[in-house]
Amino acid sequence: MTEQEIIDKTNKVFEESFEIEKDKLTPGAHIFTDLGLDSLDIVDLVVALQKSFGVKIRNEEKVRNIRTLQDIYDFISAIKNEDAGKSS
Amino acid sequence: MQLKRVVITGIGVVTPLGNSIGSFIEGLETGRSAVRFMEEWTKYIGMRSHVAAPAELKDEKKIPRQSRRSMGRMSIFAVQAAEQALADSEIAPAGLSSGRTGCVIGSTMGSSRSINDVFEMMLPDRDLTKLPSTMFFQCMSHTASANVAQYLGLTGYIAATAAACASGLQAVGAGYDLIRLGRQDIILCGGAEELHPTVTGSFDVLFATSAKYNQTPQKTPRPFDKERDGLVCGEGSGILVLEEYEHAIKRNAKIYAEITGYSTCGSGSHMSQSDKRSMIKCMNEALQNAQMTPEKIDYINAHATGTPQGDTEEAGAIKEIFGDAVPVSSLKGHIGHTLGASGAIELIASLLMMEKNIIYPTLNLDEVSPDCAGLNHITKPVAKEVSTILKNCFAFGGINASLVCRKI
Repeated sequence: MTEQEIIDKTNKVFEESFEIEKDKLTPGAHIFTDLGLDSLDIVDLVVALQKSFGVKIRNEEKVRNIRTLQDIYDFISAIKNEDAGKSS
Repeated sequence: MQLKRVVITGIGVVTPLGNSIGSFIEGLETGRSAVRFMEEWTKYIGMRSHVAAPAELKDEKKIPRQSRRSMGRMSIFAVQAAEQALADSEIAPAGLSSGRTGCVIGSTMGSSRSINDVFEMMLPDRDLTKLPSTMFFQCMSHTASANVAQYLGLTGYIAATAAACASGLQAVGAGYDLIRLGRQDIILCGGAEELHPTVTGSFDVLFATSAKYNQTPQKTPRPFDKERDGLVCGEGSGILVLEEYEHAIKRNAKIYAEITGYSTCGSGSHMSQSDKRSMIKCMNEALQNAQMTPEKIDYINAHATGTPQGDTEEAGAIKEIFGDAVPVSSLKGHIGHTLGASGAIELIASLLMMEKNIIYPTLNLDEVSPDCAGLNHITKPVAKEVSTILKNCFAFGGINASLVCRKI
């Protein structure tokens, strides 16, 4: 999965699940202060990302460190690379 | 202790006939039925009844996402009806967070669609990880009340009644008591309900639904009629603003009516069968509470859902107290049985009848059934001074509720 595919899929989650306009979805956007998510949304964000990317991240400690959209792109990228490493 | 007087100063509805007071009344005035054939229900094995009175879910995106995410269909209806009622009452938003304003809103259960969705998501793989965070808030028994309170920022008494088809009227009764006792100044009261095959199915398995009119849905339900064969489920919400009399007078509020009497009681005899004796007790207690004699009532808005047994019992109870002197009608022919919302929606219709001095008839009452005879059944709109009304609701669990209002 390319970097751009990860960005597009992640942004789609924010557009569809959280009804956030496309132009607000910049890599540096803070998911709480800029995009308005709260603690309940984070639960739904994890569910949506799991579904979108076919990954299991619910119990990942690193989820707690996510602050910006770039953090999510990097996090998913790392998980995907880890998975690819395991399968090869 | 001097009890306070309680008046109604705002009303709002989402109904199968429309999502505003204007469209609801227009539907009643023109004798329209909102009942239609439910093609999508024909796939359920064993479902006999394929008719219902759906309301339209619209403008829900006007509710901000973070408020809306905890609302199932019925809570959206409740919030929309509550907003209308509040606007109608002209109560300033600043007063909502004083601690003296609350809400009591009832329903049969939480959002049936959301409950269904939870099991659809969870059960195939016994997997909880797919569940959205806010599903429980849509499913809980007090979902309508909690969502309205959160959305409007109410900080007073917040509660939900859960008495199936008497939930809405019990909520109004509870609000009446809270204000009478001086515990609150304003309570938003009412009920909310949503259609779902599991809801109609719960009546269908008891053979309480209408199943003979699937090809002619506008002809059912038929309250008090010789050819009635059961109820038809509807959905929506009705919310009333109840206010302490002096509080309303001080701000020069429009007053629809004063609530003067209320009673709720159990039959103690059967879970699903209506019981004439306890209905009589309930109506008599409401009249005593209002310090009124039966002949002082100008109109009775019956519960009458179109079931053979329920209508017979209610007709018998009304006949014993009121004889054939007082006009009686049921609105189930127009909007079906909106279950937990019915008490509030139909009370609102009755208040509008008081305002307009007109009585709307029982739709589909073509020939009064012999076991429902002896009442002053209204089958055509009647112009009449309506200064006092009595509203009935009867529910599974043997629960009865009756409320008396008068014009002031």
